[in-house]
Amino acid sequence: MWGLFFEPFQLGYMRRALAEVVILGVLGGVVGVHVLLRRLAFLTEVVQHTVFPGIAIAFALDQSLLAGALVAGIVAIILYTFGARRVDSNALMALLISTFFALGVVVVSRRTGYQSDLTALLFGRILSVDQRELLDTLVIGVVSVVLLVVLHKELVLRAFDPLGSEAMGYPTIALDLVVNVVVMLTVVAAVRAVGTVLVVAFIVTPAATARLLCRRITPMMIVAAALGALGGWLGLVVSYEGSIHHGWRLASGATIVLVLTAGFLLVAAGRAVAVRVRRPQMAMAPA
Amino acid sequence: MSPALVLDRVAAAYGREPVLEGVTGVVEPGVAVALIGPNGAGKTTLIKAILGLVPIVSGRIEVLGTTPEAARARVAYVPQAEALDPQFPVSVLQVVVMGRYRAIGWGRRPSRADKAAARAALDEVGLAQRAGDRFGVLSGGQRQRVLLARAVAQEARLLLLDEPFTGVDATTTDSVLTVLHRLRRAGVAVVMSTHDLSVAHLACDEACLINRHQVAFGPVEDALTPELLKATYGGAALLLDGGATVIAR
Amino acid sequence: MRNLVDSLQSPLYRRALLEAVLVGAVAGVVGVHVVLRRLPFFVVAMSHATFPGVAIASALGISLFLGGSAYGLVVVAAVLVLGANRALDDASVIGVVLAGSFALGVLVVSAQPGSSRDLSAFLVGSVLTVTPADVVTTVVVGAGVLGVLGFLQKELVLGAFDRSGASALGYRGWVLDAIVLVAVTLTMVTAIPAVGTLLAVALLTVPALTARLWVDRVGAAIAVAAFVGALSGVLGLFAAAIWSIAAGGAIALATGVCFLVSLAVTASRNRTGRRLPGRAGGVAA
Repeated sequence: MWGLFFEPFQLGYMRRALAEVVILGVLGGVVGVHVLLRRLAFLTEVVQHTVFPGIAIAFALDQSLLAGALVAGIVAIILYTFGARRVDSNALMALLISTFFALGVVVVSRRTGYQSDLTALLFGRILSVDQRELLDTLVIGVVSVVLLVVLHKELVLRAFDPLGSEAMGYPTIALDLVVNVVVMLTVVAAVRAVGTVLVVAFIVTPAATARLLCRRITPMMIVAAALGALGGWLGLVVSYEGSIHHGWRLASGATIVLVLTAGFLLVAAGRAVAVRVRRPQMAMAPA
Repeated sequence: MSPALVLDRVAAAYGREPVLEGVTGVVEPGVAVALIGPNGAGKTTLIKAILGLVPIVSGRIEVLGTTPEAARARVAYVPQAEALDPQFPVSVLQVVVMGRYRAIGWGRRPSRADKAAARAALDEVGLAQRAGDRFGVLSGGQRQRVLLARAVAQEARLLLLDEPFTGVDATTTDSVLTVLHRLRRAGVAVVMSTHDLSVAHLACDEACLINRHQVAFGPVEDALTPELLKATYGGAALLLDGGATVIAR
Repeated sequence: MRNLVDSLQSPLYRRALLEAVLVGAVAGVVGVHVVLRRLPFFVVAMSHATFPGVAIASALGISLFLGGSAYGLVVVAAVLVLGANRALDDASVIGVVLAGSFALGVLVVSAQPGSSRDLSAFLVGSVLTVTPADVVTTVVVGAGVLGVLGFLQKELVLGAFDRSGASALGYRGWVLDAIVLVAVTLTMVTAIPAVGTLLAVALLTVPALTARLWVDRVGAAIAVAAFVGALSGVLGLFAAAIWSIAAGGAIALATGVCFLVSLAVTASRNRTGRRLPGRAGGVAA
């Protein structure tokens, strides 16, 4: 029975998918903790939608999806920075999300048979990851994690006490930019695997689960990375088994996200029960 | 020895709106100054200007012999604890160690010596036994003391405190007064904004009265007179028989 | 251009035009309340949240309205329950729940044959295949929603600006909120055949934002938003015919273009940099 967990990975493409998903899981977990600490979940949502036209255009032109996504992301950030002076930022984000997404849809639709292209871009094609993409992901992953580890204490200080960190002389804007850029890189890397709509799950869900389990930041990052990698692995196993042995057509990216979400719900439920058992009169105890 | 802080006709503004002008005074090492004035008078603006976080439109500020920006590593700021998220997953000790981050430098982790210095600072404010607790589970006054310990751990030469006695319990007030007294004896200069006149008398040598402009800057006995307080607080200052003044906020 | 002329001969295309105009206008009006109450994020969330409900309802062969709205309510409940944990901020909880829900929807749809087509129809619409029944539904639901919003306009605006004042006058704040949220959900589900869930966000926010660039009063904003919404529907469909692109995407893009053009034109009018709700600006009822 245990063979189930390893059987799929005798196939080359499954091994590559596994490697991609494990790297993304670790990267997403570490970045995700910062996203939670700085409350950037909505921004992540915005980035994941706004890189879509860049990816669509790059796809249509047969160029690097990474480059396309980066360009789109940068344009979005510039438009947001200028637009925020005249329009409420909440509404502006919704505007950017929907119009950028529309642009991507329009670009993709120019080719015939666009529905399948669209679904591939929207929901990822983890099973068709090639060596070059894997390498890209690895590089992004290593660079991002190293950056976050080196700057760890300064980033935590800035998230906890922005005024205090400025008073101590830290360049807050530069620190913020580092995190925002790393988030964007992670989104871009993950988009090819799980598609534009599900990326936020890779980044926020494992970190949110870890947040419920750990009380300090470093353990949180380790747990989040482990959960991300594990979720990816399990998701691939489940979708493979389902497809091969039961004839269900389970989209891999979506299965992974569902596994990660189930993990979160389990931990949340378990915690609620544990709190009630330990201190029945204090139904909502602090973390 | 050069003064810790020199303010020379300092004026600050938000866009076109002037919020502060005419602030002039010198703070020598080991001296504590109380920054007194109603809400919105510019006390926080002045503190931020001394930190170099807010630009001044005219005048000059000299901190520890150099510009505010250059002096930041040797200036400690103690904010109000309520501004910080109580759910944030850091321990009390981690918060105190944060004061030493600048000295530790980019890319390096806090050493045992840093943690020992942090524990010593925590001990001084009477919270050594809470080192492992999450910052947010402490009471308001206790959190304020942790932030003071952070400033102590920074080994700064100038301390800026934003209303350190507002809304805190007696234990905290005692603890803060004791620490400030020890720091002043060691030559650290202190500037604190406060509404509490009795604290100003107890803890400070000088007072700076501000209401968008400087009303007075001098020794506490000379500056905290009923007339000058009335001039600072306007209708909110009540003169009682016997010369005492009460301030209604 | 010949494509356009040819298209206009087709009854399918003309029906699509009608649907696009109706949906655009209704969404534009509802959008004014969305922007007034700072709900654009909620709308984005709902666009993700209604998808699995719609997908499941379609797979089970039951009403899309029921499926979409029911699942939307499940999401709201889940967010409220999970959000009670103070360690996680709202946006994170919403992100987790929505991504999970969306994945569920994808699985449901992709498990069926012919799934790519259905999937994209849900997400980005297929206005060129709207049936007369769809159009009738739009008219009925649209009229109902607009009627209720129009009837309660004063109260809704008051509630948006001054919650405590409105309560003091005896209006139940949560009832007004609920009315707007329901209106948004219904509009979104109605818009699915035309523009799909993800692009309905565009119709529900951008024309209203565009209107705010031109006028200051709610009544006028409603009229302008309805016009811009309908115009976007028309422009989008024309573009779809001329350049052979997806109609839903073109319509949503058209809203963005209208906004940009308005931004440019009104920028020269307002050197003082007039701000919109959420900043220093205010709106007279």
